[in-house]
Amino acid sequence: MRSEVARRAQADGLEDIDPVSFEVIRNALLNITEEMAVTIRRAAYSTNIKTRADFSCAFFDATPLCVAQSFAQPAHLVSMSSIVPAVIREIGPENMQSGDVFLINDAHRGTSHLNDITAITPIDVQGRRIGYFANMAHHVDVGGSAPASLGVSREIFQEGLIIPPTLIARGDRIDHNVLNLLLSNVRAPRETRGDLRAQMSANVIGLRRVTSLVERYGADFLEKFFAELLRYTERWTEREIRRLPEGIYEAEGFRDDNGMDDEPVRLRARVTIRDGHIHLDVTGSSPQRAGPLNCTRPMARCAIAFVSRCLIDNRLPVNDGFLSRIHIDGPDGLCCTAQRPMAVVGGWELAARLTDVVFKALHPALPKRIPACGKGLIVNLGFGGHDPLRNEYFCYMETIAGGNGARPGKDGPDAVQVNLQNTENAPIEEVELNYPILVRRYELIVDSCGAGQFRGGLGVRRDFEFPHAPVTCTILSDGCKFAPWGLDGGDSGAPARFVYDPEGEGRVLRSKCTVDVPTGGRIRIETPGGGGIGNPTLRRPESLARDLEDGKVTEEWARAARSGSGAAGSAPGVAAATGGAE
Amino acid sequence: MDGSRDLAQQRKFRVGVDVGGTFTDVVLVDEQSGEILVSKVHTVPEDPSQGCIAGIDKALADYGIMPTDVAFVVHGTTIATNTIIEGKGAKSGLITSDGFRDVLEIAYQTRPNLYDVFYDKPRPLVARSRCLGVPERIGPDGAVLVPLDEEALRRAARRLVAAGVESIAVAFLHSYRDPMHERLAGRILQEECGRLPIVLSSDVCPEYREYPRTSTTVLNAVLLPRVTPYIERLEQRLRERKVAPELHLMTSAGGLMSADVAKRHPVHLVESGPAAGVIGAAFVAERSGFGNLLALDIGGTTAKAAVVHAGRPQITEQFEVGAAAIATVTSPKGLGYPVLTPVISLVEIGSGGGSIAQVDPGGALSVGPQSAGADPGPACYGRGGALATITDANLVLGRINPDYFLGGEVRLDRGLAEEAIRRAVAEPLGIGVVEAALSIVAIADARMTSALYFISVEQGIDPRDYVFVPSGGAGPLHALSIARALGVGRVLVPPTPGLNSALGMLASDLKHDMVRTYMKHQRAADAGEISAIYGEMEEAIGRMLAAEHVAPADRSFLREIEMCYVGQSFHLKLPVPSELDGDGVGRLIAAFHERHAEAYGFASRTEPVRLVNLRLSGIGKVRRPVMRKLPDGEGGRQAIKGYRPVHFDDPRQPVPVPLYDRRLLGTGDRFDGPAIVEQMDTTIVIPAGASVLVTEAGSLLVATGAENDANTGRNPERSDNDAQ
Repeated sequence: MRSEVARRAQADGLEDIDPVSFEVIRNALLNITEEMAVTIRRAAYSTNIKTRADFSCAFFDATPLCVAQSFAQPAHLVSMSSIVPAVIREIGPENMQSGDVFLINDAHRGTSHLNDITAITPIDVQGRRIGYFANMAHHVDVGGSAPASLGVSREIFQEGLIIPPTLIARGDRIDHNVLNLLLSNVRAPRETRGDLRAQMSANVIGLRRVTSLVERYGADFLEKFFAELLRYTERWTEREIRRLPEGIYEAEGFRDDNGMDDEPVRLRARVTIRDGHIHLDVTGSSPQRAGPLNCTRPMARCAIAFVSRCLIDNRLPVNDGFLSRIHIDGPDGLCCTAQRPMAVVGGWELAARLTDVVFKALHPALPKRIPACGKGLIVNLGFGGHDPLRNEYFCYMETIAGGNGARPGKDGPDAVQVNLQNTENAPIEEVELNYPILVRRYELIVDSCGAGQFRGGLGVRRDFEFPHAPVTCTILSDGCKFAPWGLDGGDSGAPARFVYDPEGEGRVLRSKCTVDVPTGGRIRIETPGGGGIGNPTLRRPESLARDLEDGKVTEEWARAARSGSGAAGSAPGVAAATGGAE
Repeated sequence: MDGSRDLAQQRKFRVGVDVGGTFTDVVLVDEQSGEILVSKVHTVPEDPSQGCIAGIDKALADYGIMPTDVAFVVHGTTIATNTIIEGKGAKSGLITSDGFRDVLEIAYQTRPNLYDVFYDKPRPLVARSRCLGVPERIGPDGAVLVPLDEEALRRAARRLVAAGVESIAVAFLHSYRDPMHERLAGRILQEECGRLPIVLSSDVCPEYREYPRTSTTVLNAVLLPRVTPYIERLEQRLRERKVAPELHLMTSAGGLMSADVAKRHPVHLVESGPAAGVIGAAFVAERSGFGNLLALDIGGTTAKAAVVHAGRPQITEQFEVGAAAIATVTSPKGLGYPVLTPVISLVEIGSGGGSIAQVDPGGALSVGPQSAGADPGPACYGRGGALATITDANLVLGRINPDYFLGGEVRLDRGLAEEAIRRAVAEPLGIGVVEAALSIVAIADARMTSALYFISVEQGIDPRDYVFVPSGGAGPLHALSIARALGVGRVLVPPTPGLNSALGMLASDLKHDMVRTYMKHQRAADAGEISAIYGEMEEAIGRMLAAEHVAPADRSFLREIEMCYVGQSFHLKLPVPSELDGDGVGRLIAAFHERHAEAYGFASRTEPVRLVNLRLSGIGKVRRPVMRKLPDGEGGRQAIKGYRPVHFDDPRQPVPVPLYDRRLLGTGDRFDGPAIVEQMDTTIVIPAGASVLVTEAGSLLVATGAENDANTGRNPERSDNDAQ
C-alpha cells in the first residue's frame, strides 16, 4: 500500500528521492527556518520585530538558490532571493567561512530600503559548503535625517547608514569595531544591538539544526533533495500559471507625490501571462526622482510575485522554483526600478500601489477573483526623542491597518493589513510600557468604506499623545489624494488623513513630513477605507441594516449609498480631491 | 481506600464521564482492585448533562454499585467549545476604556491567510453595538490618568441591559497592573444589572496585551451563561441520586478543576474533552513503557491528534478557539479567538464514525465534516438516519460486528447501511456498494493521516520514531492503515480505547494555574515582595484545593517566573525556589542570563532584566488508578470466537478472518493478521502482514509491517522508544 505522502509526491513526478524522505526533509527544513524565526522574535528588542513580526528567514543551497523561506510579510517574497546571491557573488564564497555573519542593507545592491538589514551565514558541514542561512529584519532606525529613518530625503545617503556586505562576526566572535560603528549611527542603539544579536543567533540556530540534518541524511542526499525541491516547485508553479488566461493586461495608477512637490507619481503595469510565465513590465511609469518615493527592482517584483501567488495554489512552497516563473521587465531608472543614488525609504508605498495596479490590470481577465483597491499603503509612522523616564534617546515605529477592498461576492474586512503587508499591531499596553507614548484612541473610522453591492472595509484612526517630553514625529505615507478605487460600479473608499492636534488646532499634515510635537501634543492617523464592488443600490438591505446597527456607517452614508449618489466613502472636505482621479 | 485524600470510608469507585459528540462514556475504577468497569450511552445533544446522568445510572445499575460508593466524579465536556464553534454563546456586552471599543473588531489587524483574497476575519463574539467605551484610564505604571466616569458607566450598563445582554465583560487598559477601575466598575455594574454575570479581565487573566486579554475575558462572559447552568444541572442531578462527592471538570491543560471554580472560569474548559484523551493515551502508553507517542482519538464526529514527548503532552500558553490548526510563529494569527489559558496542543478535524459520505455536485466523493451525530446517527443504527456514514461503510465491509456493537447494546442493521451507501455513493458514482464503502474508508483514512502528518512531519517530527496510540470508538478500526500510510512501525491499542478520555480523567491531578503580572525592572524587584505575592497566590490556590478536599500533604506548588531583558517582549520561564531570601532576585537574574544563553546563544550580563509574570501552579495529587496485570494468556488461539468474511482491499472477495474476543486474551499472546479483535467499546482491524503481541498492561502492541525506509539514507537512530 502506498502512503499518503508517497501519493502526494509521486503525483508531482518526483524523480530520484523516495517520497517519504522528500516530505520529511522539506518540512524539517521549513521547521528550521521557523525555529530561526522564533529565535529572532523572542530575542529581539524592538516592537517592530518582536511583536509586529517584520522579518523573515531563509535557507539557500550552495548554488546559491533560495530553497526554503519562513516569513510573515509577503513584502519579503523577493528581497532575500535577490540580495543573498548578490552578497555571495561580491564577497566570493571562498572568502566566507562557516559560521561567519555578514550584514547588508544597501538597497541599491539588490534589496529594499535601508531599514531592512540582512544577516547571512555560510554553512559548511564536514568541510563541504552545504548552503547559507539568511534573515532579514526591519530595524527601527538606521540613522538618517529623521527618527525611524523615515525622513524625506533627496538621496539615499541622507536616509541612513549604508552597510555594504560587511563581516560582523566570525563564529561567535563579534567584531566590536564594526558593531560600534553601526551603533554610533543609529538612534536606538540598545534596541538595535539586541535586534542584531537576535539575527545572529538565529543563524547560529540554523547552523546547528542543519548540521544534524546533514549527519542524518548525508550531504549528497540533501543536495539531491534541494535540486528536486526546486524542480518540483517550478513544475507546480508552471502548471498553475498555465491555468490562468493567457494574454496581456494593462492598467495604471498614481501616488499623490514624492514628498518634494505636488506632482503625482505614475505607475504603469503591463502584465503578460504566457507559456507558464508571468511578466510585469513597468515601462511608462514615472522616472526616478529626488525624493523618497522610489523603489528598487526587487521591491517592484514583489508586487507581481504577490498577485501571482494570490491566483495560484496556496500550498505552493516559497522558493526560487516559484520565483523563476515571475519576472519584472522595463528599463532601469524608473520610479520603480530606481538606481543609486536615489532615496528609496518610501519604496514600499510605491510597491503597495503597484500591487493594486497589477490587480486592476487583471480584473478584466479574472473578474471573479480580483478585489477592489484597499488601503494600498504601508502608513509608516516614527517617533523619536528623549525619554525622560529611562533617560535615553528612544525611537519607535509602527504601521497601521486600513480597509480591505471589497471582494467579488463579499465585503472587504475592516481594519486589516492588505496585500504585501501583514504586520501585527503593537499592543497599546506594550507600547505604553516601553516608550513615553500614550495611545488615546484606536478605532474604526465610521463611513470610511466605499459603498457597493459589497462594501469596502473601514479604515482605522489611531491617536498618539506624548505626555512626558517633546518628540519628533515622522510620517511617511501617501494616499491623501488618490483614494482606493471601487470596481464594477462600487465607490472608492475614504483617503488617508494625518492631523496635528486633532482635538485642538486640527492642522492637516502632508503625507510625508517630519514635525516637532511639544509635551502633551497629539498626532492623529487616519488610514483609508477600501473600495466597494458593484452598484451600491444592489446592496442587500439586511447587510446595510447590520452596518447601521453596528454603527459602522451613519444614516447619511446609507442614504447616499441607497441613492447611488456616490458620496459615500469620501470623507468630508476631501471629496473633491478624490473625484475621478483613477 | 485512597489514603491520599480524606474521603469517607465507604466510597470505593472513581467515575470518569466523557461526553463526545455521539456517545457518552462512563468509566468506573475500583479504588482497591483497579478493576475497570465501563458503560456507554448515547449523547443527548440538547442537554449533554442528561446523557451524563443516564450513563452514570446505567453504570451503577449494570454493576450493582450504590451511589454512595462513588468517591470521585470527573467530567470532560465539549460544551464550551461547541458553544463557541456553533455560535451559540450568550449575548454579551463589553465595556472598554473610552476610545478602544473596537479592540475585538481590529484584533491583531492582520489577515489570517497571506494569499487568500477571500479570507475572513472571525466575527467578533460581541457585536459592535454592544461594545461600549467608558471614560477612564490607568497608565502603564498604575497611575490614574482619567478617573472612572461612573455616570457614563451606568449609562452604558443601562444600554446593555436594554439590549438584552446575558453577561458583561469589562476590560480596561493596564488593568493587569491595577485592577482598581475594573473592580469599581464591577461593583457599579452589579448595582445596575442585578444578577447578570460580570466578568473582569483582571480576574480572568491579569496578563498584559489588551487584545488577547479582552478576548479571553469576552469568551468567559459568552460561555458563562451557557456552561454554568449546565454544570449546575449536573450537580443537581448527582445530588438527587445521592452521589455526594463534588464534581470535577477536566481543563484544557489536562488538569482537574472543581465545579465551583469551573462555573466562574468556564474559559478553562474550552479544550476539556480533547485534553482528557491525550492524558489517557499518555497514561496507557506509559504503562507499556512508551514515552513518545502520536495519539489519535477518533470519535463519532471528529478526530483529534496530538504528540506526546517523554510522557508529557505539549502545552501551549495561548491558543485560538475556532482556529483549524496549530499556529506557528510566522503563520498569521487571527484564525480564531485568542485564549490566554494553558492548553494541550492538538489538531482536530471533522472526521469520525458519524461523518457523512456524499457525492458533491462536481462528482467527487467527500466524507465529513458534517456528521450524523448521535441522533439519528448512522443509517445502520435504525433510528431513522438515512445518510451513509463511515460506520455504515465499516459495517458493510464486515469490519464491525452488527451483533456486538457496544457489546451488543446497539444492534446494527447491515441492510440499512448498504441501502444508504447505495443511494448516496454507489449509484451516483456507478460503482458497487462494497467498492463505495472501501472508497469512503480510504478517504476518511487519508484525512486522518493528514492530521497526524501535520502534527508530526510538518513540525519536523519523524512519525517513524513514535508509537501510534489510537483511541475513541473508531480509532482502532482505522489505526493500522493510517499508521502504515505514515510509515509508523508500531501501534499500541489501549485496553479500553473507546473509553480513553474517561480513563484519562481518572489519571489526572487537580491543577490550578494563576498568574500575576509583576513587570518590574531588576532594580525595583524585591525578594520579599515576590515571596509575598507567591504567598498570596498559594493561599488562594490552597483554599481552592482545601475546598476540593485535598489534604495538605497532597498539595504541591510550582513557582515559575517569566523574565526578559528590558526591551524584549517574549519571556523565558524559570523555576523559583520556595524560599527566596535577600539575594534571591540576584540568583534569579543570574539563572536568567544562563537560560538566555542556552536558548538564544547569547547573554548580556550588563543589561537590565525585567521580571514580568509570576506564575503558580497548584497541584492536588490524585492517586493514579491501580491497574491490574493481565493474567498470562495461552498463546492467543483460545480467544478466537469465530470467523467472519471481511473486505480489506479487494471489493470482490472478502477474506475469512478469525475473530478474537479481547476479554479472552492474556499477557504474552501473539497472533498475526488478518484478524479482527472485538471488544465492548471498539473493534480492532488487523490487516495481513501485521502481528499482535498482548502486553502485561493489557494493551495490544501491533507491528504494522510498514514499508521499510531502507532507501532513504536515514541513519537508524535509537529513539527513546526503542529502549523499552
